[in-house]
Amino acid sequence: MSDWLAQLWRRLRFLVNRRQFERDLDEEMQLHKELRQEKYQSAGIDYDSARYKAQHRFGNVTLLKEVSREMWGWIVFERVAQDLRYALRTMRKSPGFTAVAVLSLALGIGANTAIFTFVNAALLKPLPYPHPDRIVALVERHPKYGISPVHPRSFIEWHERARSFEALAIAQAIPINTEGDDGPEQVAGLWTTSELFHVFGVWPSLGRAFTDQETRPDASPVAILSHGYWQRRFGSDPNILGEIIQIERQPTTVIGIMPSGFRVAALNTDVYSPLPLDHNKPESVGSRAFQCYGRLRSDASLASAQAELTVIADQVGRQYPIDEGWGVMLTNLRDYLARDTRQVLLLLLGVVAFVLLIACANMASLLLTRGVGRRSELALRASLGAGRLRLVQQLLIESLVLSAVGGAIGLVLGLWASRALILLAKEAVAFGQMADIHLDIRVLGFTLALSLLTAIVFGLAPAWQASRFDLQAALREHGRGAGDTRGQQRFRSALVVGEVALAVVLLVGAGLLLRTFSQLLQVKLGFQPEHVLTMHMVVMGDAARRANLVEGVLDRVETLPEVRAVGTIQFLPLGGWTNRGPFHFVGRPDPAAPESMESDTSVVSYGYFAAMGIPVLRGRPFSRQDRMGSQRAALVNQSFVKKYCRHEDPLGLRISGDWSDPAPAEIVGVVGDIRHDGLTTEPRPTVFLAQAQGPGYITYLVVRTAAAPEGLATAIRHEILQVDRSQPVTDIKMMDQYVSASLARPRLYSALIGTFASLALVLAAVGLYGLMAYAVSRRTHEIGIRMALGAQPGAVLRSTLGQGARLAVIGLVLGVGCAMVLSRFVASLLYGVSPGDVPTYAGVAALLGGVGLIAAYVPARRASRVDPMVALRYE
Amino acid sequence: MSKGPMRDEIPPGTLYMLILKTLARGGEMHGFEVANSIQQISEDVLQVEEGSLYPALQRMLIKGWVKAEWGVTAGNRRARYYKLTKPGRKQLEIELSQFQRVNQAITRVIQTA
Repeated sequence: MSDWLAQLWRRLRFLVNRRQFERDLDEEMQLHKELRQEKYQSAGIDYDSARYKAQHRFGNVTLLKEVSREMWGWIVFERVAQDLRYALRTMRKSPGFTAVAVLSLALGIGANTAIFTFVNAALLKPLPYPHPDRIVALVERHPKYGISPVHPRSFIEWHERARSFEALAIAQAIPINTEGDDGPEQVAGLWTTSELFHVFGVWPSLGRAFTDQETRPDASPVAILSHGYWQRRFGSDPNILGEIIQIERQPTTVIGIMPSGFRVAALNTDVYSPLPLDHNKPESVGSRAFQCYGRLRSDASLASAQAELTVIADQVGRQYPIDEGWGVMLTNLRDYLARDTRQVLLLLLGVVAFVLLIACANMASLLLTRGVGRRSELALRASLGAGRLRLVQQLLIESLVLSAVGGAIGLVLGLWASRALILLAKEAVAFGQMADIHLDIRVLGFTLALSLLTAIVFGLAPAWQASRFDLQAALREHGRGAGDTRGQQRFRSALVVGEVALAVVLLVGAGLLLRTFSQLLQVKLGFQPEHVLTMHMVVMGDAARRANLVEGVLDRVETLPEVRAVGTIQFLPLGGWTNRGPFHFVGRPDPAAPESMESDTSVVSYGYFAAMGIPVLRGRPFSRQDRMGSQRAALVNQSFVKKYCRHEDPLGLRISGDWSDPAPAEIVGVVGDIRHDGLTTEPRPTVFLAQAQGPGYITYLVVRTAAAPEGLATAIRHEILQVDRSQPVTDIKMMDQYVSASLARPRLYSALIGTFASLALVLAAVGLYGLMAYAVSRRTHEIGIRMALGAQPGAVLRSTLGQGARLAVIGLVLGVGCAMVLSRFVASLLYGVSPGDVPTYAGVAALLGGVGLIAAYVPARRASRVDPMVALRYE
Repeated sequence: MSKGPMRDEIPPGTLYMLILKTLARGGEMHGFEVANSIQQISEDVLQVEEGSLYPALQRMLIKGWVKAEWGVTAGNRRARYYKLTKPGRKQLEIELSQFQRVNQAITRVIQTA
């Protein structure tokens, strides 16, 4: 061991004092030769012969020095350093080639890095909680109604009976009204039960968490603030604990501050509030509308917890008939958070991998072409004693240098692009922790590995081929026209065919998404979003106060001159929220089980349908007469009639449901269907209830205006403050912004994949052009002879063009075949277009044919313009 | 090409042993002296391709079998003198016993033939 260390030490000393060692060796050898020569001379041999004999007897000094140096074991590094210097020199000598190569690699690697940063943040990076693998998300699941958030009653039962959890909590994000610096302010609140912080394993950095007592209806109000809100609103006041702040017009004691950066799942929260959960009347806080999170005990697994809860849900279903059929589904928190993004991210990763592959094929083709041109240079090096492996090593190092530079630029490009993407896609994707884009070890490693792999993929074949040559022929022919074998030509053609095929696949994907987007633009919404202003209010107080406040606002806003119609709705269409639950017809025993009838429920005010532009098809809309104390009225939509009133007149039927007030309501009218849940979701049976007869807390004001409502929002706000000085208003948006937001994802996907596909198309076209141009330049001589013998320029043009067209067609056919297989991966992102959509494929074929034709035409034209005299004289 | 007495190439693998032994006998020597010494003692039978001495000496320096120091020759010229170290002496013994073993074995094979 120490021996080995001593050796290493001596070797290192050699490395440092390399020059000195070389000089010593030189001097020593020189002395040896001189002494030998003197010896010969003293034996009577003349100076010249003695000198020659001494030289001869000593041997090849250069080789001996080389061998001596090799003894020290640094020769590999020296050679690599030598090759590196040589590679950099070669790159500087052909800046055009270098720029094209580095740029296409940088784009390919950059695209991969950008997508990978998201994959890393969403799927790989551990969540920022202790033992994140033990945190699970729970949802309810019904064989008929599908997946739903959790009912507080279910939570209470699970919490009482399940043994698998260390902690279990429900939460609901809700806007909270409080006092801002100037007047009422709405902040992001989170209603939650006491164990939430235990579930995530993160505790207030200041103060304490909620006690169980504090999450009961009669507790005195307390609140915990997020670090960010504490900083923003209270200037990080260290004495904030115990202070009283106004929340929903109630004096509330601040009991804790959460640590900076903490968020529950993907939620940005300002104020955490205890959920006043009455165990005897859990539905008083809401129905299936809660997020549920649990922390597994260390001895429980996801599967065992799932099994336990399945049994419990079964028992609960037997106990409460209304919960029958509802099961539970447990998901690891990370999978739960990535449920929307995983598939798209993996798809995008595949797409950028294709782009990189095309870039690689292009590079390989370029290097092959260059390899032929450099053949005489390589032959010269080989004749000076460089082994074949040495030449391959040198060429590979050149590839590595190219891809390393490309990779470095790609890394910067990729990080920049991912930041830009977050800004661009903010509307389309809730990034949550995905937005924490940092250059961590995984991203760095990924890009590094990718660059290395890239260099090997595109560099190995050309290096191998370039080093295979007949030395004498290569030297004699001086590079030009030297044996470009049939095999090499075929290899290059295969590369171009592959590029075209990959580009076709991406183009088909982009085409399908573009068609989806245009289909979505044509979806009939069922309402008129133009000139509709919306704003959000959370109205507090008892039912009478809430009803009065809204009525007061409606009365005042109606009188504004630009207002055509005004109304309110609990959850806006395309706003992402809806109420869903069972209902039944009063006094009509349904042959099917009553629970099997389900509808969406919407609470709207009079004037709403006019304001939103939804037609009333039969009966009447709500009016001012539908108020507290009068006969409860309801409207239903067309889908409702189609599904539940096929054989009878819906008007006059009485229905009751799982509503906050289950009193029966009489159907007084039928309205048109609208797309409430999203552009691609078919309308569902919906019951509309009158706001005045059962006012909710959450309300959106919907105002139809005459024209572009400049300044109207301020005027409306002013009117609202006239009704109640402390009523905050938020989310002032035009209704078509919601429409545009629901198009944001399809727009993002088609834009992203369209961009990558365009990149692929350009790269493939460059590849085809490069190959054709090269082929023409090599055949100049042959074409010259042919034309001298009477070939027409047109015929030459056609034959060259035909060559390019053949490659493009083969690539196209291959690509279409692959696309038909692969397009099912985008099927879930499509709407109104099938993965085998013929117009899309035809369009891609036409586009590719056109671009391919241009790429082949330019060199073909050059071929047809060859002057036979010049071509022949040139050789 | 070769004139004068018949000279044999040194059997492969024995160069280190010869150098070590020469240094063990002669104390401090520079490269030329080592080459000359081998040739003289073998009565001109063993012919070192003289240059190959130097890579061998480099390797022995790495291994720590010899130490080198610059000195002055009798003719007042700068020369690098090599000297056996303790590990070098040990190595010499190893090489010698190995050589003798192989040599005896070969001799037996030849004699029984």
